[in-house]
This record gives sequence, structure tokens and C-alpha cells, in this order.
Amino acid sequence: MNTDMNHSDKPEAFADQVHAAPGGEHLMHCFSCGTCVATCPIQWIEENYNPRRIIKMVMLGMKDEVLSSPVIWLCSACDICYRRCPQGVHISDVMKAIREVAIQEGYEPVRAIAQVNEQACAGCGMCAQACPYEAIQLTTAWDMGQPSTVPAVDRFLCLGCGVCAATCPSSAISLSDVSDETILAQIREFAEVGQAFQPAKVTG
Amino acid sequence: MVDAARHPKVDVRTYTEVERVEGYVGNFKALLRVKSRYVRAERCNGCGECAKVCPIEVPNRFEMNLAPRRAAYVAMSQSVPLVYTIDLDACIHCYKCVEACGKLEAIDFSMPDQLVWEDVGAIITATGFSHFDPSVIPEYGYGRYPNVVTAMEMERLNNSAGPTAGNLVRPSDGANPSRLAIVNCVGSRDKRFNPWCSNFCCMYAIKNAVLIKQAHPEMDITIYYIDIRTPSKGYEEFYERARDMGIRFMQGRPSLITEDPDTRNLYVLSEDMTLGQVTEREYDLVMLNQAAVPQPDVDTVSSVLNVTQSPGGWFMEYHPKLRPMDSPTDGIFLAGACQGAKDIPASVAQGSAAAARAGRVLHAPEWEIEPVVASVWEDRCISAQGKKCGVCSRACPYGAIEYEVGKAAHVVVAKCHGCGGCVAECPHNAITQLHFTDAQILAQIRALLAEKPEDKILAFRCHWCSYGGADLAGVSHFEYSSNERGLRVMCSARMDTDFIYEAFRLGAGAVLYSGCHPQDCHYITGQRVGAARAERLLNAFERLGMTPGRFRVEWISAAEGDKYARVINEMQAMLDVLPKEQLMAENERLRPDMEKRARRMREVPQVEEALALTDRLKAAMTKTD
Repeated sequence: MNTDMNHSDKPEAFADQVHAAPGGEHLMHCFSCGTCVATCPIQWIEENYNPRRIIKMVMLGMKDEVLSSPVIWLCSACDICYRRCPQGVHISDVMKAIREVAIQEGYEPVRAIAQVNEQACAGCGMCAQACPYEAIQLTTAWDMGQPSTVPAVDRFLCLGCGVCAATCPSSAISLSDVSDETILAQIREFAEVGQAFQPAKVTG
Repeated sequence: MVDAARHPKVDVRTYTEVERVEGYVGNFKALLRVKSRYVRAERCNGCGECAKVCPIEVPNRFEMNLAPRRAAYVAMSQSVPLVYTIDLDACIHCYKCVEACGKLEAIDFSMPDQLVWEDVGAIITATGFSHFDPSVIPEYGYGRYPNVVTAMEMERLNNSAGPTAGNLVRPSDGANPSRLAIVNCVGSRDKRFNPWCSNFCCMYAIKNAVLIKQAHPEMDITIYYIDIRTPSKGYEEFYERARDMGIRFMQGRPSLITEDPDTRNLYVLSEDMTLGQVTEREYDLVMLNQAAVPQPDVDTVSSVLNVTQSPGGWFMEYHPKLRPMDSPTDGIFLAGACQGAKDIPASVAQGSAAAARAGRVLHAPEWEIEPVVASVWEDRCISAQGKKCGVCSRACPYGAIEYEVGKAAHVVVAKCHGCGGCVAECPHNAITQLHFTDAQILAQIRALLAEKPEDKILAFRCHWCSYGGADLAGVSHFEYSSNERGLRVMCSARMDTDFIYEAFRLGAGAVLYSGCHPQDCHYITGQRVGAARAERLLNAFERLGMTPGRFRVEWISAAEGDKYARVINEMQAMLDVLPKEQLMAENERLRPDMEKRARRMREVPQVEEALALTDRLKAAMTKTD
């Protein structure tokens, strides 16, 4: 994708690069009102995730700062901000465009990603149906001369929500840094605390 | 207002609608519907006894529905004329008002609406603006949370003549608020609703904040804004004064307003951009500073007056910089916010300018117009032969052509602005434009392409924009190809297909079709007529197999001299790389087609004479060389 972007030898401006990537079309419409920031549920959890600031930094050409920042991988594409944005900027698409550029420039995603255990996979395809980001495609793998259907996770499209892991009837998908064992261990720990345990305040 | 009503030469008609307007500058006829008040104005003395006895109460629109009024009412205490009106939608016909009126006998339930025709010389449209309804923005909760109010509701709540006599209370419990938030840009600068900046709301927010702070110095007031715009004289100083008074300005557009259901207090969630942090603050009262929008009946008024609208629905001015108080229709003028959101000083200035413009019409025994009007060859018009056509009438942006089957089309000269759209559109070449006749233009094309036409770039330029652009290229000393030959018409709408065919028939190397940008058209929709035709021409030449680029369409404003020079140079570069033999062969191949297509134009009267004159002139010029 985007192999035709750099025609000239002149290094392209970062803002133009993002603007040209799919989803980056509305980048320049942002007039920095901050509505998205105050809307964003990710922002409530991770203060450093500020979409307005990221877009501004892109416009100012702060390439290294933006692409090396772990926060550009945080947007969950819930699109509440898009509905409230007065300039019609599809912010999750802009974030996608920024990540697209980051990948082209060789940056690795900083977030959990779905991982498939092919041995356990039954090839039912429920994970592909469940994925809200169309990050899972079913492919054919050859194992000892036998074809079998296995899911392939596009690590750039995957936002690490874990829906696939929860859906999989064969427990063949897990998140890279949040395995089922980790979550179960957390539950056991909470159960041991017993009465003292208070559910975390849900801010969403 | 009272002065105006008392002036011997001012006739104020309230509660009256303009239903129809006919005629033209200096000679309009307006049909007025004088709506029945069910109270005889000449007998009513405004004592208000009828309202006192009226048992019906309905929401008072003037008080933003924060107070009631009776079914017998005046809109407000300063109404001019001070004549009561019976609201028949609310009235229960108890006739207590008739009794109370007594000997005056002013109330008459049988009074009908009156329709009257008035002769008027000029019309000033000053229909104002309306307010955006913020209840369509769900995240601000207007309509659900009682303590979220609009700017106009705040205006009444804080007005000593308002329903609370100036005691600022919040609607939920009548308590005096101690923390107030004002949210700017509610529905404006918002592409979901109205993309424009409503112009006066920043100042309006500051004014309200200052008024409230003066009366209640202990009040905590925060204005949420995206940008504060204080561009006029003294405005920035006023903003500074507000900051001095301790009014808090918070840069960041609120994303959500929520309510505590117990206290009815409000939480405003926004980013504080200067800190880069999300803040949530608690308030007792929130004022939404809503956008200014056109009046809801703007389309009706627009069609009654034949005044076009700008995007969004505001009335279109003749020229945004040079003639902002004139409508595109002569004799109809615009004043105030009906032309676009503006504050009081700008409205007063525009109103005074419109009055002066109207005065010019009223004082003139004769009205001069540009002599470039359209004129119908009646013997050629097929409508006169009883056939249906009306193409000219549809092409006219000014409604200046009266069309009726059985009669030749008739141009109302006083309404014609001379774009020439009808002339070029007429399929039977039955209309011409004075001073830009077909014969004259064809003769010019012939003269400009007399020698080595294959080297020439014939540029059709519209009078207002692309001709100005070419002129600017000249005075700015931008170099462009000397093979360019310019030909001026009033509008791209006048650039007939047959002119282009004729130019190529004569062997022109390239033809430029240039005019104003669509939004800059000086004839309302003329450019659109021209652009649609240019599109058809491009398609036709593509089908005929003409080398792309030989016919070029460009919209060039009077400020774009550099663009004009660049376009001509690009066309020259295209010609430079095109082998001459290939060009000549292409011309030869296309000539029969062009001949066939351009032939119609030769049927127009006077063309032969004009061409003969051109040839004689050419011969004479060659001799002197």
C-alpha cells in the first residue's frame, strides 16, 4: 500500500504523508477545538493520549515525536469523537493513517495483538466474523499435504480488543501480552481478597 | 421606531406580509397581505383593558416562552403601533375583551385580511436572522436539562423588563446561580449544522458576562471558546475589560454537558487547551451561545423578491466587497443580517447604505442601465410561430425574459443585466446582445485569426474576471506567449458553442474558454450556464478526436494574473510540442464538422456585412504595412 506516494527525491512533508495515507483526508480540517480530547474514553484512562495534540504535531511536521510515541496505537476507533467533531474530522481514520505511516517507516505497534495457536485452531472462522476491525482473514495452510483453514491476523489492523480471544470456542487465540492465564490469575487474586475487593470505578 | 411611525413620509405596515412583487427598478408593484388583528387600529388606544380581562394564557414568544401572555396581546410594551391583536388560535371567543373595550368598539371579530397592491420604486429587504435550535445537539442537553438555556433566554432572564424583572434565576428552582458557564459556537463553525462563524457571538458572550459580572461581582463566570474573535473597533479592549473583571476564558469546546439529577447542577466537560488537560467543572447555569441562521421563511421571501441566496440561505449580495447592500436584482437592496450574520454597527451601516441606494432610485426621473442588453429578432423566435421553447427565459438569471407560446420572447430591458446567456443558449439564434452581437464577435474572431491561425491561442475572456486577470498579468509584467489573442465578452455564458467551432474552422491552434470562478460570477448563475456548455464542448471535441489541450477551460479571477499567464504559457508549450503538420492535418480533418456546426451562426442577420467589413479593414491594414 502507498508505494506510489514518494514520487520525488525530495522528502515528503510529514503532514502530506499522513494526508495521503488512507483515512488522512480530513487531517487539515482540524481547527484544534479540543472536543475530541474531552470526549475520548481512552483519554480518561491514559492522560497522554490527546488526539488534538497528535493531529497538531502531525501538522507541524513533528515526525519522530509522533511516530515513536506509544499513544498513537491507543485509539480504539469507538468514533464517539467523530460524531461530536464540528469539522467532520474522522479522528480514528486519521490515527489509522498515522499508524500506516509509522509502519511504513519501520515502527512496531506498541500494543497487544491477537495471536493464533494453529495447532488448536479448528478453522471455524468465528474470530474473523467477530473482529470489529476486519483484522482477521481466513487463509489456507498446508500441513503434511492436508489443507486447513487458519485465521491470519493483520497486526496493523488489529487494535488488541480481544473479542476474537473471547469468541474462539477452541481457545486458540489469545492476546500477545494478556493471556487467558493472566486474566484468570487476576480473578483468583481478587477472589482471595474477597470482601475487601471493590470493583474498579468505571469511567466509561 | 416611534419617530419613524410619526414621520409624515414613512408608512409603517406591521403584521403585513409581501405576497408578490412584480415590475422592475423604479416601477415595482407589491401585493401586501395586511393580516387581520381583529382590532381596528384606528380605534384602539392601546389601553390594554382587553388583555387584562382575557382569561387565556399562552407562552409569550417575545419572552422566549419564559412568561405567559394573553390571547389579546401586544408583542412587547414598546410595540409600534401600540395596537392590540387577538390571537385567534388561542381565543375561546368569550368576548370579555369586547365588553372591556366598551365604547371604543375597537375589537371586530369579523375583520378580514386585506390584500392591497402598492406601487413602490425600490425595496429594502431587512428581514433579519433567526436562532439555531441547540436541542439538536444531544451532548449539550438543551431541552432536557432545565438549567441549560440559550443566549436569548439569558437575555430575557437578565433583562430588567424581562419576566423576572432582571433577577437572574435558574429555571429549575428559581435560585440565583453563583457559577455560570457560557458556551460559544453552539451550532456555528460546525459542519454538522452551520459551517459559518456567526460573527457577533463572541462579543455577545463577553457582553452578557460583563453585564452579569457588574450586577453580581461574586459570580463565577467561565466562557468556553474555540477562538475569541474581536475584530472591530473597541472590541479587543472590551475583551480585555472582561478579563480584568475576573471573567474566566477557557479555550476548549465542551464535548459533553451532564446534569446531577438531585441538584440540577451541570457538569461541563472540555479540554483546557492551554493545559492540554481535560477538565470537568460544575455550574449552576449554562448559557449556549447559539448560531445565527437565516429566517425559516427565507426561501419564500427569496422567491417573492427574486433575490438569490448564498450557501446556507442568506440573501446574496451583488458583490461581496463593492456592493454588499445591493441585491443582484436592480432596485432591491439588502440591509442587516438577512444578507449574512452581522452585529449592530455593521447592520446600521449597511441599512444606511441601502437607504441611500434606494434614495437614488426614488430621486431619479430616469434610470440608466448598461447598454449591453439582449434583444430578440422577433421574426426568428419560434415561440412567435406557436412552438414551445422558452430556453432563453430559463437561462436568464434575472427573470428578465417574458415567454409565452404564440408571442415572440420579450426582454424586459430594465431587468436585463447583459450577461448574454440567453443569446448563446437560444437554439434558433433569435436573440442578440447589443454591442456584443454575433456579427461583431464573429468578425473579431475572423480578424484575430486572419494570419497564421494555427499559431494562435484565441482566448475568450469574461469581462469581470478573466479579462481582469489578463489585464493584471499585463500590468504586473508577467510574461506570456505573444501568440495569445484575447476576445472579451461580458460573461462566460455568452461564449457560444458556435464561436468556438468557428475559431477551429478558421484553423485556430488553441482556444481558451475562461471566466469567473463559480462563486464569483457577476451574473448570479451565468458562469454555471457557461461551465455546462464548456463541459459539452469538451466532450464533443473528445469524440471528434481533437488533440487534448487545444480547447481548454479555466476559471481565472481578476486577481489571478499569474494564473492567466501560466495557463497561456502551458497552452503555448502544448502547441510547441505538437508537430505543425499534425495540427494542420487535424484542422483539415475537423473542418467539415466545424463547418457543419458553425454554419448556424452564419444565418444570423448582419454577419455577412460584418465579415465583409472585417475583410476590407484587413485589406486596408495590409496595404499600409
